[in-house]
Amino acid sequence: MAVALKRNREAELTLEEVVAKYPDVPRLVALKIDAQRRGVHYTEQALSVVDDSVQMRSPYIFGSRDGEIKPLPESLILRDGTSILTDPTPIEQDPYLVDLVDGRLALVDNGEPVEFVELWPKPLYYDKQTSSGIPMSHIVSARPQRLNIFQSSFCHFWADKKECRFCDIVNHTKQQKDEIGVPSRLKPRDVSETIREALKEPGRFTGMCLTAGSVLKGEQIFDREVDYYIEALQAVGENFSTKKFPSQLIASAFSEKQLARLYEETGLTSYTSDLEVLGERLFNWICPGKAQTVGYREWQQRLIRAVDIFGRGNVGTGLVGGVELARPSGFTSEEDALASTLAEAEYLAENGVTTVFIVWVPRPGSYFRDQQNPSLEYFVRLARGLHRLRVKYDLGVDFDDYRRCGNHPDTDLSRLL
Amino acid sequence: MSAQLTNEIIDLLKDKETTKVLATLDADGFPHAVVKQSLQPGEDGNILYLELLESSRTNKNLVRSIWFDRKVAIALKGKDGRSWQIKGKPVKTHITGPLFQKHYTAVRKRLGDVDLAAVWVIEPEEVIEETFAARRAEEERKHPLFTHLDRLARQ
Repeated sequence: MAVALKRNREAELTLEEVVAKYPDVPRLVALKIDAQRRGVHYTEQALSVVDDSVQMRSPYIFGSRDGEIKPLPESLILRDGTSILTDPTPIEQDPYLVDLVDGRLALVDNGEPVEFVELWPKPLYYDKQTSSGIPMSHIVSARPQRLNIFQSSFCHFWADKKECRFCDIVNHTKQQKDEIGVPSRLKPRDVSETIREALKEPGRFTGMCLTAGSVLKGEQIFDREVDYYIEALQAVGENFSTKKFPSQLIASAFSEKQLARLYEETGLTSYTSDLEVLGERLFNWICPGKAQTVGYREWQQRLIRAVDIFGRGNVGTGLVGGVELARPSGFTSEEDALASTLAEAEYLAENGVTTVFIVWVPRPGSYFRDQQNPSLEYFVRLARGLHRLRVKYDLGVDFDDYRRCGNHPDTDLSRLL
Repeated sequence: MSAQLTNEIIDLLKDKETTKVLATLDADGFPHAVVKQSLQPGEDGNILYLELLESSRTNKNLVRSIWFDRKVAIALKGKDGRSWQIKGKPVKTHITGPLFQKHYTAVRKRLGDVDLAAVWVIEPEEVIEETFAARRAEEERKHPLFTHLDRLARQ
């Protein structure tokens, strides 16, 4: 399923050139972006030192760039505590190598070591099963300090071929179910048991995230999706002594009534609903299902109204950074894409909604599979721009930062806020 | 370039009665010096600092240091009055993994219901003895003119 996409990087600034041009952006964060942008390839030598203490790839909501499910390390962490969420990439696509240098793992580019790295430690619960016999790693997956609960991996937008054009959720779900038996919908009891086990490990986790595909059914659109989340969050909540617990929900754009139910009936502390791309024209093209069912302006307004319920600094929207430059209808200039995206993000920031991005990776199971993501410089400027908006509007992002998430270069910068 | 800690300094770092100060730099270059009793020797010749508060100024300054290669300084004063300054740089922070979890458990056993944000690893680059008697002897040797004349006057 892998697509051989050879990058043409000759016209782009290198990592060291970008770091020199933007001295306010730490080299380690720029490196993270570049490793996410280009992917990584583990050498045989690197894999020879992987032992049972390492977290291997576990079920995820999205697929990997090589389109395969193989027993490889989950991902990497840098010496400043920055997580790199990246996935195995065919060597033809010019990824960084993860190789052994002087007996330690390092990111290597053009034969030169760039930075030493470590692999993610495996949580103890990964070796256990629920009472129903499912490996707990299939119920809740881990990051260095976060728990991921992908409560359902089906997205109803796919049924009408209105899926977001960068997304491979349903194709990947089928692959995970067929190849390793990951359940496509989680049972609350399995979730509760797994969370209980995860919490037994002191100092291991600081937050959790629930997300899934959109579910359109119900009396009001998304009512059923809200029901599923409430069920899962209540199962999680059984394990806490406090009503609220550090948690993030990434879900569809819910009405105030639906949000109020989530806030009042569960321990949820933050809410994210991804616009994916900013600007109505691109939203309509890239997210046809979301555009048709809710619409760009209404999606924005629902986010803004969520601030009244969850509070400033607890509501966000996620972008698939770089997809605004997708062909054929995206911006043709990185300058224009950046200006437009940051202007829209500023409107949201003025209204208490923070915007974060992940690095767009054209995945083989997605409609945009044969495209190429933008330059490192573009992503660095996007990270600076979104970070500066948080500084300007004094917007916190604790719920989605380097530790409680780890997948947003812009919120890595918020460690200094 | 790393400097080696002597056994005397390692003992000082281990001693609970030693006063330990960590000085970092903020975004504007202003020093931020705070007593940090959690400073302790690491097993690899480096110094460990346990940060209990994710949002503390020291923690942010250490992040800034590891990102932008800024130095930090540690002052130690033992119960016998001898004191030392160690200049260095943070080279790593543990926010997860076995070392982090070991200290998380230990610090909670020692202090009760507290959190642990990070275990910082500081590589010493320079060690300077700051004990007054030692510094005075050094100055008199290197700069014999640095004195007031009345101190030399015939009584």
